[in-house]
Amino acid sequence: MTEAVLGLFFAGFLVFLVGVYLLLSYRNLLRLVLGVEVLAKGVTLVLLGAGAHLGMTTLIQSLIVTFIIVETILAAVMLAIIVVCHRTNLSLDVRMLSRLRG
Amino acid sequence: MTLLVGCLVLLVVAVVLLGLFRDLLYSALALAAASVLLSVVLFQFGANIAAVFELSVCAGLITVLFVSTVSLTKDSDQGVESRLPARFLLPMLVVFAAVAYGGSHWLASYLTAPAPPVGAPASFAEAFWGQRGTDVLGQVAIILAGVLGVLAVFRAKLAGGHHD
Repeated sequence: MTEAVLGLFFAGFLVFLVGVYLLLSYRNLLRLVLGVEVLAKGVTLVLLGAGAHLGMTTLIQSLIVTFIIVETILAAVMLAIIVVCHRTNLSLDVRMLSRLRG
Repeated sequence: MTLLVGCLVLLVVAVVLLGLFRDLLYSALALAAASVLLSVVLFQFGANIAAVFELSVCAGLITVLFVSTVSLTKDSDQGVESRLPARFLLPMLVVFAAVAYGGSHWLASYLTAPAPPVGAPASFAEAFWGQRGTDVLGQVAIILAGVLGVLAVFRAKLAGGHHD
C-alpha cells in the first residue's frame, strides 16, 4: 500500500462525505444535483485507488469510463426533470415535489 | 507525489467551496474545477482515456447543462436555503476527515493485492472491448434510456400544454 493510494482513498472518502452533507442539508434541487456529482467524484477517486492498489489500472479505467457515462446520463435526466418541476411549481424546493403525488 | 497531493487538496477545497457559494454559477464553476483536478489525478495514474472522458464530459458537458438549467429556472429559492452556520464548518470537516482517515485505512486493509491474473489486459482497448464488452451494451442501453427519459419528460409537458 503506497502513500499515493492511501491519499486517493482519504480524498475519495472525504469528498464522498461532503457530497452526503450537500444531499442532506440543502433543499434546492440544483444543489442536490451538485451533491450527487460530488458523490460521483468521491467514488471515482476510490475506484482509481483500488485499481492502482491491485495493479489493474487498465481494467479499472474501463469501469471509470462506464461510471462517467452513467453519471452524465443521470445528471442530464435529473436536470430535465428539474426544469419541468420548476415550470410546474415555480420553485426549486424539493419539498414541493410532494405535490406530484397522484 | 507533490503534484498529486496538491491536486487532491485543491479538489477537496473546490468541493467544500462548492457547498459554500451562494451563487449557483460559482458552484457550477467549482464543480468544473473539481473535475479538471480529478482528470489531472487520473492522468497521473496512467488512466489517460478516463481522464479525457472526465475532462470533456464532466468538466465540459455537465457544466454546460448545469449552467443552462440555472438560466432556465432563474432560481429564486437561494435565500431560504438551510445552511450550516459557518462556525460549524471546521469541526464538521475535522469529523469528516477523521471518518475518511479511518475509512481509508479500513479499505487499505480490506483490499489485499491478488496475484496478477493470467489474462490481464495489456491495453485499455483490450480491457474495454474484450473483457468488459457487456458494459458497452449497458452503456448504450443507458444512453438510450436517458434520451428517451428526457424526451418523455419534455413531451409530457408539451402534451399538457396542448390540453391547456
